[in-house]
Amino acid sequence: MINSVRNTVLSILNKNNYGYISPSDFNLFAKQAQLDLFEDYFVGYNTQVNNENLRRAGTGYADMTKGLEEAIDVFSVTNPLANNLLNQFFLPSLTTTGDDYYLINKCLIFLASLDTGTTDGTTGGNNGVVDSTKDFVAAGVAIGDYVVVQIGSEVSLLTVTNVTTTILNVNNNGITTTGNSYAIYKRSAVQYEAEKVSNSKITMLNNSLLTAPTAQFPAYTQESIYLNIYPDTTYDVGQVVLQYIRYPKDPKWTYVSIGAGEPVFDQSQSDYQDFELPIEDETTLVTKILQYAGLSIREAEVVQFARTDEMLDKMPAQPATRTR
Amino acid sequence: MAYLSEYQYYINNENWGSYQYVSLQDIVNNFMLMYAGNHSLINNEERYKVLFHAKRAIQELNYDAFKEIKILELSVCDSLRFVLPHDYVNWVRISLYKDGLLRPLTENIQTNYSNAYLQDNNCYILFDQNGGILRPQNSGIDMDRLAGTKKSIYLNQGSPYHGQEGYCIDGSWYFDYNIGDRFGLNTETANFNPTFKIDKKNGVINFSSDMAGELCILEYVSDGMEGGDATAISVNKLFEKYVYAYITYEILSSKLGVQEYIVTRARKEKGALLRNAKIRISNIHPGRLLMNLRGKDKWIK
Repeated sequence: MINSVRNTVLSILNKNNYGYISPSDFNLFAKQAQLDLFEDYFVGYNTQVNNENLRRAGTGYADMTKGLEEAIDVFSVTNPLANNLLNQFFLPSLTTTGDDYYLINKCLIFLASLDTGTTDGTTGGNNGVVDSTKDFVAAGVAIGDYVVVQIGSEVSLLTVTNVTTTILNVNNNGITTTGNSYAIYKRSAVQYEAEKVSNSKITMLNNSLLTAPTAQFPAYTQESIYLNIYPDTTYDVGQVVLQYIRYPKDPKWTYVSIGAGEPVFDQSQSDYQDFELPIEDETTLVTKILQYAGLSIREAEVVQFARTDEMLDKMPAQPATRTR
Repeated sequence: MAYLSEYQYYINNENWGSYQYVSLQDIVNNFMLMYAGNHSLINNEERYKVLFHAKRAIQELNYDAFKEIKILELSVCDSLRFVLPHDYVNWVRISLYKDGLLRPLTENIQTNYSNAYLQDNNCYILFDQNGGILRPQNSGIDMDRLAGTKKSIYLNQGSPYHGQEGYCIDGSWYFDYNIGDRFGLNTETANFNPTFKIDKKNGVINFSSDMAGELCILEYVSDGMEGGDATAISVNKLFEKYVYAYITYEILSSKLGVQEYIVTRARKEKGALLRNAKIRISNIHPGRLLMNLRGKDKWIK
């Protein structure tokens, strides 16, 4: 989609000889436009829910909420959190989970792990959790169970694909080092959802006889880059799993330069990244990028055109009339 | 949580009868799922509030509606004391278990224990160097009770009549106390069994001296909180809907901006469901009534 968007933007800009935007500028504008639209999903979702409560929304093809949910769910990720100390975990970030989070939707806590340990070997395919001190078969590990492995500061939730006495094969071939902490959880293990509690309430909640957080009704607070789990006991690697909405990845229109220095689209490059938004948002992306581009090349008409187009998009659709 | 298989049910005695109950976990989970959300009357409420109201509902139900009595047997030693159970809220019945029979005990209408302060000969209260009042180990009334010398207004061993000699005239017994002093019997205190008085603040039941060395059975109600173990808290299924209604009402009635007619509707629903559940759990059915109705044939002499 990114090439199509860029071509459309350039076509509109070139139509009246307004100017040209370089690939690096386009990438910057594209990122801004995508973030703009991404945040609009949540505002739109809330508006749509309110409309439903006011009986102004329909079902079936008129179910706008569903479409927005689908658009948002594309960015939904479930990842275990890296433990910092006791009940304190690192919030998702590029270094711990590989992505930044926009919104935490739910925090799940495994009641108990089946087994824990530290790897002391690797396998040929780099897809093995190796621990020569364990007997995984006797411990009752089965295919489909989860293994959470912490490699450096990054924690991954993996699925067991094969079990031998000392090796668990998993659906990841990036286990190239030893000395990694791991914990195993049964697929059927009970998970309890921790509730977000504000920092102003957590002390009172902990002191309350009736509502103090327990294993069945855990709670969490956020502070700086950390997430604190209550009850504040110790937790195994991966015992806390977060489902959150991550930020979209920065779009990148990659290219190769041909003779005259003209950049030609090349999506085979390693840093290529397409837009992550649904196709129906292509027109909105174009108009938003045009706005930024118009500001950049100081063409008021481009900005005006883009704004008008955006406003028309946001206006409620008129019913189609049949004419003879 | 999944239903138990028949095997799982029978193999573990902790599961026996569990089908009558729904767990606190289920209650809160179901409520958050079914009664709270974007399109419900209750929205944007913290789960801990739901948990709080669910537990409060269960506590209230335990006090009267559930009819779930806990029973504890303990031996009463020379201290004539029975320490209240850790989950005690109120008593239902206290009995003496003797000779294979349960004898319900009567609560003493007077007190049988007291605190005391040390005093000098002029009745001035004595203090320690920190300004605290000096107290004896036992008050006078406690000492008499523990020594077995305290008299009782009940017709038990402590009664002034107990062991008294009288006169047998024409087959009838007469006592000095009766002649010109006392007419008839005070039926309120006409009980041979030991008596008790509960010292709620100190958490003990104090018995009369004739209870020493006897077995006491305490029937009491708790609040259903199971010592804070959330996994063990449950509620009879007959009251499940009531608990949801209770939570709904409590949240709506304390929420800003909820119209009064909605609060009233929630309150009425809560009340109706409680009445319904109470009727259901009282188990009024023909089989039970039959034995009671047979009593109508009894001849009253």
